[in-house]
Amino acid sequence: MSADRWSALLAEVTGIAGVRAAVVVAAEDGLVVHEAAMDELPTDDLAALASSVVRRAGELLAALGNDRLRLCTLVAERGTVVAAQGAQGLWLVALADPDTELGRLRLQLGDLAPEFA
Amino acid sequence: MRVLEPWLREPLADLVRESAARVVLVMTASGQVIAQHGFTRSLDVMAAAALGAGILATTAELADLIAPGDDFGAVVHQGGAQGVWLAGFDTPRGRWVTLVVFGRESSVGLVRMFFDRFASGVRRLAPAPTATPELLAEGFERELDDSLRALFGTG
Repeated sequence: MSADRWSALLAEVTGIAGVRAAVVVAAEDGLVVHEAAMDELPTDDLAALASSVVRRAGELLAALGNDRLRLCTLVAERGTVVAAQGAQGLWLVALADPDTELGRLRLQLGDLAPEFA
Repeated sequence: MRVLEPWLREPLADLVRESAARVVLVMTASGQVIAQHGFTRSLDVMAAAALGAGILATTAELADLIAPGDDFGAVVHQGGAQGVWLAGFDTPRGRWVTLVVFGRESSVGLVRMFFDRFASGVRRLAPAPTATPELLAEGFERELDDSLRALFGTG
């Protein structure tokens, strides 16, 4: 997939009102693969922390004997982080304001994440 | 954890805890050890310091060949079970080097993030350099013994 295509897919996520960043993250090393974000947003930190959460959540599910983790949502007072599993160890992560349409964002990430490979 | 100077303990403890690092070594660009966590034998830490400083100096030369005046910033070696993060940063005491060994419970991204915070903490907390008197031979030996005692608890 070309970089332009990746940017176009991320633009579909950041096009949702309230989304401040969309980042493709390599879960194994916590590094940014591709990103679209508002200025001055620390996407490197977002990627590192999101990958850590996703890996721990995956380990928790595995310990409980459940299926693999596909979607992870963290809701806090000042914002929401949603991560959806893509292919080849990539995760599509979005950071959004509290008043963002969470259902739409989750659907969008779930649909788009498999395309990042 | 062993540190030569007490003010370094807090930022180093934060780095170890937050990044889940297995081993951390802080040294000057010439390989003089300033702090360490996770080493048990003085021989290992001396060898790691010399090798780490050497690797970073070599990559700096390589970077200068490729793009004069530029720097790679950090060098990462990733193995199957653990990885090594090696990076230099400027402090009021000159250029320092940090080597972090991390396992699968951490990641390059996490180590990078908490290394950046560690470097900022060191820059903020480091006392201004003081003029050091010229070392006489016997003074040098005593200083070396004191440093080894501080870093390994032996002398």
